[in-house]
Amino acid sequence: MEMNEDKKDFKTNTVGDIFSDNPKIVSRNVSVYYNDKKAISDVSLDIGSKEIISLIGPSGCGKSTFLRCFNRMNDTIDGCKVEGKIFLDNENIYDEMIDVVPLRAKVGMVFQKPNPFPKSIYDNVAYGPRIHGLVDNKKDMDNIVEMSLKNAGLWDEVKDRLDSPGTGLSGGQQQRLCIARAIAVSPEIILMDEPCSALDPIATAKIEELLQTLANDYSIVIVTHSMQQAARVSQRTAYFHLGELVEVGYTKHIFTNPTDIKTQNYITGRIG
Amino acid sequence: MTLIYLILILLFISLCWFYLGNNSAKIIKTKSGRLHSLAHYYGLYVLLYSFLPSFFVFIIISVFDDLLFSFLINDYIPDNIKIEPDYNKTIILAQIQNLIDGINFGNPSDWIILASEKMQEWFKISTISNYCFSILVAIIGGYLGFKNIDQDFRSRNSVEKIVIFLLALSSVIAILTTIGIIFSVIFESLRFFAIIPASEFLFGLTWNPQFEGAERAGSGQEGLASYGSVPLFVGTLLISFIAICIAVPVGLYSAIYLSEYSSKKERSFFKPLLEILAGIPTVVYGFFAALTVAPMLRSGGSLLGLDVASESALAAGFVMGIMIIPFVSSLSDDVINAVPQSLRDAGYALGSTKNEVILKVILPAALPGIIGSIILAVSRAIGETMIVVMAAGLAANLSFNPLDAVTTVTAQIVTILVGDQEFESAKTLSAFALALTLIVITLILNFYALYIVKKYREQYE
Repeated sequence: MEMNEDKKDFKTNTVGDIFSDNPKIVSRNVSVYYNDKKAISDVSLDIGSKEIISLIGPSGCGKSTFLRCFNRMNDTIDGCKVEGKIFLDNENIYDEMIDVVPLRAKVGMVFQKPNPFPKSIYDNVAYGPRIHGLVDNKKDMDNIVEMSLKNAGLWDEVKDRLDSPGTGLSGGQQQRLCIARAIAVSPEIILMDEPCSALDPIATAKIEELLQTLANDYSIVIVTHSMQQAARVSQRTAYFHLGELVEVGYTKHIFTNPTDIKTQNYITGRIG
Repeated sequence: MTLIYLILILLFISLCWFYLGNNSAKIIKTKSGRLHSLAHYYGLYVLLYSFLPSFFVFIIISVFDDLLFSFLINDYIPDNIKIEPDYNKTIILAQIQNLIDGINFGNPSDWIILASEKMQEWFKISTISNYCFSILVAIIGGYLGFKNIDQDFRSRNSVEKIVIFLLALSSVIAILTTIGIIFSVIFESLRFFAIIPASEFLFGLTWNPQFEGAERAGSGQEGLASYGSVPLFVGTLLISFIAICIAVPVGLYSAIYLSEYSSKKERSFFKPLLEILAGIPTVVYGFFAALTVAPMLRSGGSLLGLDVASESALAAGFVMGIMIIPFVSSLSDDVINAVPQSLRDAGYALGSTKNEVILKVILPAALPGIIGSIILAVSRAIGETMIVVMAAGLAANLSFNPLDAVTTVTAQIVTILVGDQEFESAKTLSAFALALTLIVITLILNFYALYIVKKYREQYE
C-alpha cells in the first residue's frame, strides 16, 4: 500500500500518531480555503475502520470544515477550495473522475441541528434508498425503513405513526430520524457534526448509546464541543486549534496526559 | 379653501402648546429634579390635547353643516312644488348650489333665489362659527392638557395610548372602506335584482344589455335585452386559464433558475428586470396584445388553416400571462429562498443530485408559498380589465374556444359604466351585480387558497 510505505518518512507538525493500522480514510496535507481565507492548513489524519474518532477544539478551529471534506459537502459552498489528498478505500475522493453522488451515499452525514425533510417519517427514511434506486418493491423498502429505524433506536417509538410528519417528532427523535435516514443507504462512514448540541441531556445520552452500537458497523467521525462527550464515546481524539491539527491520540491519553501545551490548555479549560 | 387656513391656524396653536408644555416640563425638572417622562412627551401630550379635539370639531362642523342646511332649506321650498309628481330634492339642491356658484340656467324662480341667499348666509355663519369654535377648542383643550402637567404625571403613557388609538383608527378606516364598498355594491345589486330575477342573471346564457329606451322605442323588441352572465364568467375563466397556463410554468421555472442555478450576479441582474414587467401599465400590455400579438396569432393561425378572430381570448390570455409572470416568479423565488439551507444540505449529504434536491426537497417544502403566489396571480388575472377590453373584444360569446372573441366581467363593467348612462336602468345596475358576483367569486377563491396553504402548512411544519 502506497500510503503505508511513506509512514516513516511522512513529516507533520501534529503531535501523536496520525496513522491508523486499519485505515478507512487517509487524508494527507489537506488545506481548505474560503475564498482567500485559509480555514484549515496541512491536516493529515487517518480514520480507522469501525472506529469512533472525535474532533474537538474551540469554535472556528476548522474541525467542521475538515469533517465536510470527507463527503465533499464543501463543494456546495461558493468560493471553497480544497487542497491535498483524501483517500477513501485507496481512492482519492478529490480526483476529477470521482462522482460525488455515490461518494455521499458511502459517507453519510448527520448535522448539528436535526433537519428532517418536511415529509412523513417513512418518506424521510425512504428518501435515500429511493434516489439511489436501492430497492424496486414496496416490501423491500418497508424492510429497509424498519431496519434503519431499528438501528437508530427509533422504531419502537414511531412504528405506529410512520405516516405522520418527521418534523412533528421531538428534537432527539428528529436527530435519530436523521441518523436512520443516513444509514438507510448503507454508508460505510458516518460523519456527525455536533449531533447533540441542540439536544437535551436525555436525548444526548440516547444518541451516545446509539453511537456505540453503530460503531459495530460503521466508521464514525464526530465533531463535538463537549469534551465529556468525546471522552465518553470515542476511541481516538483529535484536537484542532486555529485551523491546525495540534494533537491526536487515544482518547484516554489525550484527556489524561496531553503532550502539547495547547491541548493541555484546552482540556483544562484555559482556552475554549 | 379658507378651511385650509383654519387647519394651519389649529396646527400653529397646538405647536405653541407643544412649546409651552415642553418648557414647563423642563422647568419642573430643574426645580424638583424629577420628572416621570422625558420633557418632550409633555409637549406632545399638550399638542395632542389641543389639536385632536379641535380637528374633530372642525371635521364634524364641515361635514354636518351641509346636511343641516339641506334639511333647513325645506322651509323655503313652496309646498306646491313639493307635491309635484317629479319632485326631486337633489335637483333643487343642485339648482341652489349652482346659483350660489354663479352658474345660472334660464330664469330661476323667486323662491330659489331666496333659498340660495339664505343658504349663502348660513354658509357664512357656519364658516365663521367653524373658525371660532375650533380655535376655541384648540385653546381650551391645550389648556386642559397643560394643567395636567406635574412631576408625577405619566405623559409618556398617555401619549402612547393616544398614538395607539390613532393607529387603530387608521386600520379601522381601511376596513370600513372595504365594508362600504361591498355594501354600496350590494345595494345597487339589489335594485338590479328587483328588475331582473337573480336566476336569470346567474344562469342565463345570453348577455345582451339594452337601455330601456331602446326597448320602448322598437315595439315588440322587449325581448332584446337579456342579462345572463354565464358567457361573461366563462370568458373570464377562459382568459384567466390561458394566462395561468403561461404564467405558472414560466414563472416557476424562472424562479427555480434564479434561486438555485443562477450566480449572484445574474440574479441581481435578472430579478429586478423581471419585476419591471409588473411595473408596466396594463394599458401598454393592452395595446401590445391588440396590435402585436393578436395579428401575429391571426396570421399564424391562417397558416395552419385555423380561423382566429382578430380579437381572441388567446391573445388577451397570452399577454395577461406575461403580465402576471413576475407575481409567480418573484414570490416563488422568495419562498424557495426561504427553504432552510439545512434541508438542502440534508439532501446533498444523502447523495442527491441538484435536480433531486430541487424536485424532492425544495419544491415540496415551498409548495404552500408557491400555491399562494399562484392564487395571487389568478386573482390578478380575474380582475384585469384593460388588456381584455383592448385585446379580447366585447362580444359576449359563450365559447370555450380560445380562438374566438370573448369578453369578461370586468370588460363589461367598464363598457356599461363608461359614457352617458341612465342610472336607473337595468343595464347600468347590471354592472353592480356583475361586480358583486366577481367579489364573491374572488373571496371564495382566496378563502380556498388560504385553506389549502394552511392544510399543507400543518403537514409540513
